[in-house]
Amino acid sequence: MSLLEIKDLTIHYVTKDSIVKAVNGINISLEKGETIGLVGETGAGKTTTALGILGLIQSPPGQVVGGEILFSGTDLLKASDHEMRKIRGDEISMIFQDPMTALNPIMRVGDQIAEVVYLHGNCSRAEAVKRSIQMLEMVGIRAERSREYPHQFSGGMKQRVVIAMALACDPKLLIADEPTTALDVTIQAQVLDMMNKLKKKLGTSMILITHDLGIVAESCDKVAIMYAGRIVEYGSLEDIFHNVSHPYTIGLFGSMPSLDKDVDRLSPIPGLMPDPSALPSGCKFHPRCTSAWEECSKVEPELYEISPGHCARCLLFRKEGAVNE
Amino acid sequence: MSELLRVEHLKKYFKTPMGMLHAVDDVNFSINQGDTLGVVGESGCGKSTLGRTVLKLIEPTDGRIIFDGRDITFIKEKENLELRKQMQIIFQDPFSSLNPRLSVADLIADPLKTFHLYRNPEERKKKVHELMDMVGLAKRFEYSYPHELDGGRRQRIGVARALSLSPKFIVCDEPVSALDVSIQAQILNLLQDLQEQHGLTYIFVTHDLSVVKHISNDILVMYIGAMVEKSPAKELFKLPLHPYTKGLLSAIPVPNIDIPKKKVQLQGELTSPIEPKQQCRFVARCQYATEACHSKVPEYEEVLPGHFVSCHNVRSINGL
Repeated sequence: MSLLEIKDLTIHYVTKDSIVKAVNGINISLEKGETIGLVGETGAGKTTTALGILGLIQSPPGQVVGGEILFSGTDLLKASDHEMRKIRGDEISMIFQDPMTALNPIMRVGDQIAEVVYLHGNCSRAEAVKRSIQMLEMVGIRAERSREYPHQFSGGMKQRVVIAMALACDPKLLIADEPTTALDVTIQAQVLDMMNKLKKKLGTSMILITHDLGIVAESCDKVAIMYAGRIVEYGSLEDIFHNVSHPYTIGLFGSMPSLDKDVDRLSPIPGLMPDPSALPSGCKFHPRCTSAWEECSKVEPELYEISPGHCARCLLFRKEGAVNE
Repeated sequence: MSELLRVEHLKKYFKTPMGMLHAVDDVNFSINQGDTLGVVGESGCGKSTLGRTVLKLIEPTDGRIIFDGRDITFIKEKENLELRKQMQIIFQDPFSSLNPRLSVADLIADPLKTFHLYRNPEERKKKVHELMDMVGLAKRFEYSYPHELDGGRRQRIGVARALSLSPKFIVCDEPVSALDVSIQAQILNLLQDLQEQHGLTYIFVTHDLSVVKHISNDILVMYIGAMVEKSPAKELFKLPLHPYTKGLLSAIPVPNIDIPKKKVQLQGELTSPIEPKQQCRFVARCQYATEACHSKVPEYEEVLPGHFVSCHNVRSINGL
């Protein structure tokens, strides 16, 4: 049994004027110790998916319309608030994008870590404090700094505190939402390196949300490329990097200035991300797609299998004679 | 190609309660007409301050800025204003650099009004349309307001504003950092096209090394206010000489799973730019640091033709 199995997850934001279809029928499965990268641009639905797993979609306007999130066999969408509170921070924890706003500015960092342990860990305050110091040392912060406040730490150090907090209860699943986007490259390299080592050591599974394919190449086993609330390509790291298939993914690679090749002009994806409250008909990518033909605006493609485990949501990969379900 | 801008021993210090903050410390470079100089470094290294000081948006503390054969370091405010027609800037954040209460057409016409150009409303409108066309903004957005547009379009407004006075020289201060990759590529291509059409000269300030390699002729690497290395763009990536540049380059995550990673990981973080000691600024994070590095500021010297480095041990480290 997989650790996490998301089936047909659909999340909408319902407002007075419109329905924003943020996540539309996403399927993901994740084994123990595996890392999956969720890649996409702003508004692709990456963060909404993550918040959905944690049951943190604000309602209203958010609504989980359908689907299942099976975590170790239990459906998180059916869990009560009380049960979710127990799971959150303990078995599933999250690293947020911006370490500057994720920490409480008027609480010592050691206490902030100890709080998680105390609330979930069935232990005394003293034990929780001990654990918090142990965690700080694990992420490379000296024990005596546990009595300092967040503003006394630099951005990279703050993110280490956030990571220590997320890992304090030995979660089975860690969701990292753009964990290094706010950091400088040299600090990013340090933090990623540390995360990869800790993940291996503790056997934690991870969902890594990012827009940087370089980070994906360094840290992930599987990749899901998202566009307009859908997974458009899904496969192992090798599938995506050696046999990139969906026109959107190809466009993403073409948009990134490369360090090892010299190109005069980048080949960006023309046009813009569609308005999520007024998505185009048919394939959601067809207005920007260079290989689109007439049918693309009428038929919504499914995820077609290209090779075992590698799928793309594009009519190019529809097998001739296959019966549409 | 003729030289358009030359900066000699430029310094900008800020007074703080803790002492002098050396934001830009002894920076030298020159740019030829039509070229792009990329300035890279981590946050707090003084790259944005450098861009703004060159434009005289901030008064320099010391040094010389020679633009188009003329020393503009300490000219009067009025002359400064005249200079703005020739030197412009594109800001990082298209969300906060545009007045939310002006429509797109007004935003683009704003610099024209400031300089009393195109006084006839009809002509001005024509010019605005021309500029919108140039940066790829459809005419239907003329009466839209910034909040109605996405980041890419907003940044196009910023580009149009900078271009409206037909400048020779533009400082691009992280113009694509706030944008998504696919939009980032569109803006980069636009900037390159405009450069070719109008013979523009850019200083391109960014923290993103892959962007800077793509767009620049020369690259200047800064570290806590000081320049550590300057070389032609391609050479810098093939043969980085300074230990900091080496670390910086190997820290970039490469979207390619076939290249085995050999990481020179930089430990620690930037030290304080306030009252720096008389030593190499990189010494705390450098794995090659020797005694000389702790006691003397390294000289900025031409190690290979066109390739400048400030490091005491550059020859021994690289076997030159």
